[in-house]
Amino acid sequence: MFDVSRGENDKVLLSGRLDASQVEKLKGVLDTVTRSCTLDFNELEYISSAGLGVLLATQKRLSDSGHRLKLVNLNKHIRNIFAVAGFDFIFEIE
Amino acid sequence: MEREFERKLDALDEIFVFIDDFISANDLKDDVAFSIRLAVEELFTNLVRHNYGGRDHISLELTRDSRQLIVKLSDFDVEPFDITKATPVDVRQSLMDRKIGGLGIHLVRSVVDKLTYEYSDRTLCVTAIKKVEEKDV
Repeated sequence: MFDVSRGENDKVLLSGRLDASQVEKLKGVLDTVTRSCTLDFNELEYISSAGLGVLLATQKRLSDSGHRLKLVNLNKHIRNIFAVAGFDFIFEIE
Repeated sequence: MEREFERKLDALDEIFVFIDDFISANDLKDDVAFSIRLAVEELFTNLVRHNYGGRDHISLELTRDSRQLIVKLSDFDVEPFDITKATPVDVRQSLMDRKIGGLGIHLVRSVVDKLTYEYSDRTLCVTAIKKVEEKDV
């Protein structure tokens, strides 16, 4: 089960398992983001290439207007996947 | 353990339950469990997206011996399509140069030790092998 919601200060909260069957939920929320924004991965257990694709597309769109995503609280597995994908160069990760 | 799943992304929920049963039955630790989940999802979604016209179901077999875990997906009555020959991804490209997609097999290769493809009698099999050590169980 995957869930995405808005928290305080417009932070986007992700939780559960973000697989290929769930990415439209994330896309639906991120498509409404027009300024720099923080995504909190604290409750996110899993991500695959489908989720990475949505994040990359959003980062590209935001960068056109000088904005960007910041990702926080990644677990060690997800952090490793980001490194393998080279996303640690593309995203600000805290 | 072997089971067939419908050729659709919505089958992933059932697939993850199946994987979790395998992980529990084999007392696998988090690191290995994450790797197996990722490998299965990426390979299954590749078959769903690329092999139109095959049978309604794709077979998933998970096995373990003393040294390795074996993930095998079989797709029946399909044209040959070697998903292991995906174009390499340059992960050092800048944001502007990065293309959306194409990361799946790259990620699989990072979490398993061997990835093979076979095609015979209109059946496609892709197998991922991950070595296991004492620390993994």
